[in-house]
Amino acid sequence: MNTHDAKQILLLYRGPIDDSDPQFRAALDYAKSDPELSEWLRKQIKCYDTIRAKLRGIEPQPGLPEKIVRRRPIPFPHDWSRIAQLAAAIIISASFTAVLLKWSERRHAVAGAQEIVVTGEVLDMTCYIASNLSGPDHAECARVCIRSGEPAGIKARDGKVYLLTGEPGHSVNEELAEYAAQVVTIKGKQSVRDGFAQLQVEEIRKL
Amino acid sequence: MSADLEFENLVKLYYGDLYRFGLSLTGNETDAADLTQETFYIWANKGHQLRNAASVKGWLFTTLHREFLKTCRRRNRFSHESVDERMEDLPNVPPDCAERADSQILLRILGEIAEDFRAPLVLYYMEDLSYNEIADILGLPLGTVQSRIARAKIQLLRRLSETNLPVAQVK
Repeated sequence: MNTHDAKQILLLYRGPIDDSDPQFRAALDYAKSDPELSEWLRKQIKCYDTIRAKLRGIEPQPGLPEKIVRRRPIPFPHDWSRIAQLAAAIIISASFTAVLLKWSERRHAVAGAQEIVVTGEVLDMTCYIASNLSGPDHAECARVCIRSGEPAGIKARDGKVYLLTGEPGHSVNEELAEYAAQVVTIKGKQSVRDGFAQLQVEEIRKL
Repeated sequence: MSADLEFENLVKLYYGDLYRFGLSLTGNETDAADLTQETFYIWANKGHQLRNAASVKGWLFTTLHREFLKTCRRRNRFSHESVDERMEDLPNVPPDCAERADSQILLRILGEIAEDFRAPLVLYYMEDLSYNEIADILGLPLGTVQSRIARAKIQLLRRLSETNLPVAQVK
């Protein structure tokens, strides 16, 4: 190593901060044996310290930290694995709840069905609800409508109206059409859906 | 410690260093403040991704530098000039030239140095960072960083010695 090589290396030497950096060791050792280089190095370090102190002495704008803190966004960690876990949990929970509700509904429909006997006039529900038509004058129309599949009902003596249905998948319209506008006694299972009374027909007796 | 308090402490700890780094890069107080704010804003959104707490300072400086480069590209003022200082031309610097320059003159001269060279030089002067840490922050090989610092330092010292008034006139 000569003085020129040592200077090139020591140009980057900043003092104690670089003492542990092995790239400077040989050049520093060389400088110890060269008074002129040693003096040059002393001036370099002093110059470095001066420039550093002046640059570090620059004061930031007043109020800057407060502005930064105020402008801080609400952190939302985009941890996609956690988001996926949460979404899966919601889907599983919703599916489980839906299955439970469905099961509960069916169970309730069977368990809640009460067998009753109702006596009253067989109605063509479409004409009755829409136009308040019933009775012997409307018998023919009611028979045709019920036979053609329009909903049928029975108006009990207390005034309550039930929608008449058959077993699931079985229509009782053909049978009921024969009693359109007539007073009959029907035994069946009563249930209510959304406040609407229905009677699942088991037996029809003409009075 | 709450996240808010943690954030405030982080700001207190590093806003000054980041601001000075930003000011040395841009030469403009408003731009430096904007860069500092933007850096902490990004930290608030993405800082949780950093696994190693010891590298927070490096992360912040890297982020500020990246944001600065983005700003340069947007403003189309990115300098491609290289510093034409040969290593053979080691300056014979008057010992008091740095003492006679105030921080404004230093910032002005830094602003005249090409950006590629300015950032490593500023980190070299202002932060207690090893050369490896500077290289990590700037995403450059160690040899490139040292070469750029050396060339930029020569240019800075040469301009300083040319810029300063003689001692007799100052007095």
